[in-house]
Amino acid sequence: MNMRLVNAEFLKLRKRRGLVIAALVITVLPLLIAFTTLVVLHANNPVKNGPAGGMENFSGSMEILILLSSVAAILVGATLGTGDVGSGVFRELVVTGRSRVALFAARVPAGVGLLLIVVGGAFAITAIGSTVFAGSEGPHTEQVGPGSWETSLGFLAPSGMLLLKSAGWLALSTVVAMVLALGVASLVGSRGTSIGILLGLWIVAMPVLKELGVLGSLRQGVVGVAIDRLGPVPLVPSDPAVPMSLAAAVAVLLAWAAVPLAVGAWRTATQDA
Amino acid sequence: MNVVETTGLTKRFGSRVAVQDVDLRVPAGSAFGYLGPNGAGKTTLIRMLLGLTNATSGEMRLLGRPVPAERKAALARVGAIVEEPRFHRHLTGRENLSVIAAAREPEAHARIDGALARVGLAERADDRVKRYSLGMRQRLGVARSLLADPELLILDEPTNGLDPAGIQEFRHMIRGFVGEGRTVLLSSHLLDEVEKICDEVAIVDRGRVVVQGSIAELAADGKQTILVATSDNEEARRILGEHQAIHSLSPENGHFRITLHPDVEAVAAAGDISRRLVLGGAAIQRFEPSRVSLEQRFLEITTRLEEAA
Repeated sequence: MNMRLVNAEFLKLRKRRGLVIAALVITVLPLLIAFTTLVVLHANNPVKNGPAGGMENFSGSMEILILLSSVAAILVGATLGTGDVGSGVFRELVVTGRSRVALFAARVPAGVGLLLIVVGGAFAITAIGSTVFAGSEGPHTEQVGPGSWETSLGFLAPSGMLLLKSAGWLALSTVVAMVLALGVASLVGSRGTSIGILLGLWIVAMPVLKELGVLGSLRQGVVGVAIDRLGPVPLVPSDPAVPMSLAAAVAVLLAWAAVPLAVGAWRTATQDA
Repeated sequence: MNVVETTGLTKRFGSRVAVQDVDLRVPAGSAFGYLGPNGAGKTTLIRMLLGLTNATSGEMRLLGRPVPAERKAALARVGAIVEEPRFHRHLTGRENLSVIAAAREPEAHARIDGALARVGLAERADDRVKRYSLGMRQRLGVARSLLADPELLILDEPTNGLDPAGIQEFRHMIRGFVGEGRTVLLSSHLLDEVEKICDEVAIVDRGRVVVQGSIAELAADGKQTILVATSDNEEARRILGEHQAIHSLSPENGHFRITLHPDVEAVAAAGDISRRLVLGGAAIQRFEPSRVSLEQRFLEITTRLEEAA
């Protein structure tokens, strides 16, 4: 991997103010707002409103962050996949004689680098908020109506191991979404169209497919199912709706990452510049 | 040594032939014009040379290396502007150059400041490119092509959109590159531009090279003519009717064209003809010696294309 190429790709990305601001607004801002609101609510009425941190809020925040970081990753991946071609600079890069596959490959670490900073910031807010504003109440189940019970993860601070596993899970999900977007955008050639397709897949189609019991074990091929399988308990249920082995989940994720990368690299190598 | 050599180079887009059997030889250390009307296949040939599109058939060598087989090594010492130079508009001029330098050898980064100074953009190097005028973007394109410390510069219509001062500046710059021992391959549809900049030329028509050689050779090869307009063209033609250097006089729209005998010394003949006209009382409004072979060939091509359109 040529680090000069990676640095150049990173420069192109980080100088796109609109993209960086959008990624921050999508990931960091909602969590800031959420924790600020929870802190204020708890301060005003501690009896009615539980602590702003703890496992219960950490779990909820991670559920949101996994989705939002994927959206940010799709924006970044689609921009990486179409930026050079759209601006006409791809032609200028090809004229240097540098391998087109090398030009394509440098986009992956650059995109991951930017996303790790942005999503890492959002995760830091989640982890710090969940820890600092944690309470003393452990996990419990309570009756909320006749025959109706609700389980709470409680408000104890998440453990260091859980934070570590959660960070890894978030990074994995984000990178898979980014790589998928990079490959699709390189193939399609249009940033807007690629973002539309991928948001439709990630936000609409995937949740629906996960719930379609009629598909049976075919659902194991859905990227979101494989990502859920690798999530740390108790953030994901220990008995998921779509059971699958760890090896199968890893294989599915590798396929969802490798196939778009291969297609994107092929398109970059063969298209007229 | 030829820095560009093509043999039977052909490019087809479906049934349309854009470049056909082109055999091109660009000698080292020269400014070489690739001249033809719009749509003649000039840019397509350049795109093939640079690996931007594949040739349908034929062979190419750049700086002695076969392409695409040794494309990377061949392009390491080639700088190019293809059509309008393109940039990341959200980056500064310097950042744009650093992006390209990253794709070249490590030494390319050290050439950025020198290249910016060379094209007069050092003061504006840290402005975003979206604030640059077309002329500044053209100059930045040249700076970018200098990052390769090129032996060969390929410039496709580099003066498009420039004002007269910018065009003149560009000509000086190109001649400066040739003076440093670099070779410039200049593609253009402007005869005047090629004549003023280049030492050698190939005229291309419908994808084929129809004539190739040094401008001096091509000019000497044809008839010498002088375009003349006076206050009374009929009287002027009568005054010159018996001049020994003149082969023929033919009226054209508002002026007449004198064709000299091929064996006369053109400069001396032109001087004598103008003296006769003045002595005969004709007020000369236009007196324009021209090189028929180059101009006429080019005009024939462009006229035919315009008629076909």
